[in-house]
Amino acid sequence: MPRSAFLDLARPSRRHWLGYLLLAPAVLLIALIIVYPLFVSVDLSFQNVNIARLDQPRRLFASEDFWNACWVTFKLVTIVSFFCFLLGLGTALLVNNRFKGQALARLLVALPWAIPEVIAVVIFAWLFDSSFGLMNWLFIKLGLVDQTINWFSSPDAAFAVVCTVMVWKGYPFVSIMMLAGLQSIPEDFYNAAKVDGARAWQRLIHITIPSLMPVIGVTLVLVMLWVFRDFSIIYVLTGGGPLKATQSLSIMTYEQAFGFFKMGYASAIGVITLIVCVIASRLMIARAPDNI
Amino acid sequence: MAGIRIDSVTKSYGGLTVLKAFSLDIADGEFVVLVGPSGCGKSTMLKILAGLEEASSGTISIGERDVTDLAPGDRDIAMVFQNYALYPHLTVRKNMGFGLKMRGTDAGEIDRRVNDAAKILGIDHLLERRPRALSGGQRQRVALGRAIVREPQAFLMDEPLSNLDAKLRVHTRAEISALHKRLRVTTIYVTHDQTEAMTMADRIVIMKDGVIQQIASPDVMFREPANLFVAGFIGSPGMNFLKAKAETSGAGVAAKLFGHDVRLPVANATALAGKEIVVGLRPEHIAAGPGQVSFPVSPRLIESLGSEQYVYVDLPEEHRREASSGGDDESRRTSLIARLINPEPRPPGETLTLSFDPARLHVFDAASGEAIR
Amino acid sequence: MRRKTPQRILLYAGVALTCAILVFPIYWLVVTALSEPSLLRQLPPSFWPSEPRWGVFGQIMAEKPILLWLGNSALAAIGAVSLSMVVSVLAGYSLSRFRVRGGQSLGLFILTAKMLPATLLVIPLFGIFRNLELIGSLWSIILAHATLIIPFTTWMLKGYFDTIPRELEQAAMVDGCSPLGAMVRVILPVSAPGLAATALYGFVLSWSDYAYARTFLTNAQGNWTANLGITTMKGEYISNWSDISAASILVALPILAIYLFLERYLVGGLTAGAEK
Repeated sequence: MPRSAFLDLARPSRRHWLGYLLLAPAVLLIALIIVYPLFVSVDLSFQNVNIARLDQPRRLFASEDFWNACWVTFKLVTIVSFFCFLLGLGTALLVNNRFKGQALARLLVALPWAIPEVIAVVIFAWLFDSSFGLMNWLFIKLGLVDQTINWFSSPDAAFAVVCTVMVWKGYPFVSIMMLAGLQSIPEDFYNAAKVDGARAWQRLIHITIPSLMPVIGVTLVLVMLWVFRDFSIIYVLTGGGPLKATQSLSIMTYEQAFGFFKMGYASAIGVITLIVCVIASRLMIARAPDNI
Repeated sequence: MAGIRIDSVTKSYGGLTVLKAFSLDIADGEFVVLVGPSGCGKSTMLKILAGLEEASSGTISIGERDVTDLAPGDRDIAMVFQNYALYPHLTVRKNMGFGLKMRGTDAGEIDRRVNDAAKILGIDHLLERRPRALSGGQRQRVALGRAIVREPQAFLMDEPLSNLDAKLRVHTRAEISALHKRLRVTTIYVTHDQTEAMTMADRIVIMKDGVIQQIASPDVMFREPANLFVAGFIGSPGMNFLKAKAETSGAGVAAKLFGHDVRLPVANATALAGKEIVVGLRPEHIAAGPGQVSFPVSPRLIESLGSEQYVYVDLPEEHRREASSGGDDESRRTSLIARLINPEPRPPGETLTLSFDPARLHVFDAASGEAIR
Repeated sequence: MRRKTPQRILLYAGVALTCAILVFPIYWLVVTALSEPSLLRQLPPSFWPSEPRWGVFGQIMAEKPILLWLGNSALAAIGAVSLSMVVSVLAGYSLSRFRVRGGQSLGLFILTAKMLPATLLVIPLFGIFRNLELIGSLWSIILAHATLIIPFTTWMLKGYFDTIPRELEQAAMVDGCSPLGAMVRVILPVSAPGLAATALYGFVLSWSDYAYARTFLTNAQGNWTANLGITTMKGEYISNWSDISAASILVALPILAIYLFLERYLVGGLTAGAEK
């Protein structure tokens, strides 16, 4: 079967063409639906019909709402990441023990990961319902409060509920990553430590945690980025309220764009979140080149 | 079947040259082994020959056909890989018939050839299994079978035995040799193991850093190594090397070895006088007891294998070569090994006398490493 | 090493308690769905309805166009996953096997694209889709979900292809396949489990989206996805948690099923290359 010499990609001298050919559809599609839109939004963010260019960013930095959103986002990222790690690492260490039913426990512990965010919101919105929610009843039973709390009209309470939902939705990812990390630590390390007479907590501090450090680093960045970017949970749960107590940068971007149709202003916020994301992901990639 | 001609093939990645002007003529039906340490370019050469990598320059022809830029499938060769590369999703039968199917051979013919090859290799009872259900040795046979059924112009084998355990390796080695005698298909075989090269090859091509060091039959390779590298690589254990200085002595030339003036077996003696040389002596050419040149030693270590003994002796300082950057084994630089066949048991710590025949010595230029004859 | 009994009891108690607390919200969703709405207003709440109303699922499907929403979600997910898989199988294979000039930068860009905030991309996409008159059509979210899925699947597949020895396609090429033929006849069949896991992961990403559906489809009721439909129910039936819960279960079920069947693969894909 003689093939045309020029188009025969099986020839050693032509084979690398195939590499480009295979990449072409992806490059084209990515250019069309990711790169081009990104350019459009950067362009939008510097654009305004009546006022001069470069005005959007200036207006943005002068806005009190913007700084409020930054503060909310910062609090959210810090608190949620912290508790996701506490819970994720804790469950991973617990489930990593050898016991009957370990497989089932692993499955259950990571289950919330498989619940769509919107559904998670539905669940917690009902749990924290102000009149018949289980949480109010529980809190009163436990004597923590003496009357029902209206969770979604108090800024602090609403913020707490948002955090709870995000931690519940986010910790399984940490747990999965930590379990994978734990399983990659050679058993010999522990045996050697046991022979040397190290106690359980010493093994945790001197072997487990240091061995997990690379995974912890990557996971931390991924979780923080997820909280930073998340839209659905807050939007469906509180819409950013009450009194903008849960208005993160993502929510503010969306509100400005589709609530007030200030596309330029919204894009300016979006571009700032983009810059933060790019810096964070670059940090992660630099730390672990062959990572996710 | 056909001969293969490789003419000045080079390969470089960016600035890094891994293969320098490789030329080799392989006769029809010949079994050629490319051998050398890892990174010497032997596998790269095989991949270029197969068409899996592009040569930076040079030409290759199989039979009378220029195949330099032909697709691997159009070269009419078959290849056996180190990890066998069996298709995990196909049965053994389909694995072996895959190449024929790709070439449009009709089903009946494929079946016949697969059955024949399977019978030759004794794997006819495994034909309906998948590779994952086979042992390492069986997989290796299937890989061989996949090459045989194609009845190609040449077999290319890339370290096909290195994933087998020692015993199976020796067994399969003999089998591949027998298969070659039977089929007489031109075979190019790549290995890092000099024993495989010595036992299987019609001709050995020994390589280092992308450069051919010597092309010769196993016997010639052993008796007349072209340079220090070849001398050290071929043989197990490798040749002992002693630094010395050549002095004129009567009509010939001699070197002071272990306190004796030993005449060197070289033809062009006068050119050698006064030169720094390295004298090579094979471990099996050292005998226990007095002989033509005898020297007393107190062994550092004696390893006994029953039928033979390895006696390790610290080399006197004056015979030690300078530590080279080439990664030479440090212990080989500072010690001498004698391989004694059918030895008497020796208690450790006892001094003994070793001897050798000066005619067995090899002489190398210390500066260039080339052999002097 | 066998542990002492008290320690083991402690371990089991700890695991049981942790699982119970963490999975309780899901349990509560089921209880809520199966309870009569009037029962939900009683305090103390009952932790298992005395008469579970299993008919609630059929009833909610009759009352609300849940099946339509699920169908739309499925269509969007299948469309987005198919599109993404075609381009990312090819790209992942190229990134894994060929040294393409600029390939590394593309890999890095794809990696960064995984971190893009949806709220940023949704603004220009809205403008672009409005010009193309795609707003309200499922195509809008198919394309938008592809922006979510492609970076993940390309990278996952590259990682998967990296684990398949190159000698396999080399053998196929020596056997007479073209490079593309070697990929189609050997590499893809061998990668089937990885392809399936990757596609399902993409399916989960698409199925879970809310932001794009909310933006592009709000005014096209007939094309609402399941998540969008659920949130509108939450808005209108502020008191009927029972129905919302039943609908939520139906929406979460496909993803839960995928998770249970493919936990091993999904987890593998999620953590692929996470450790150095």
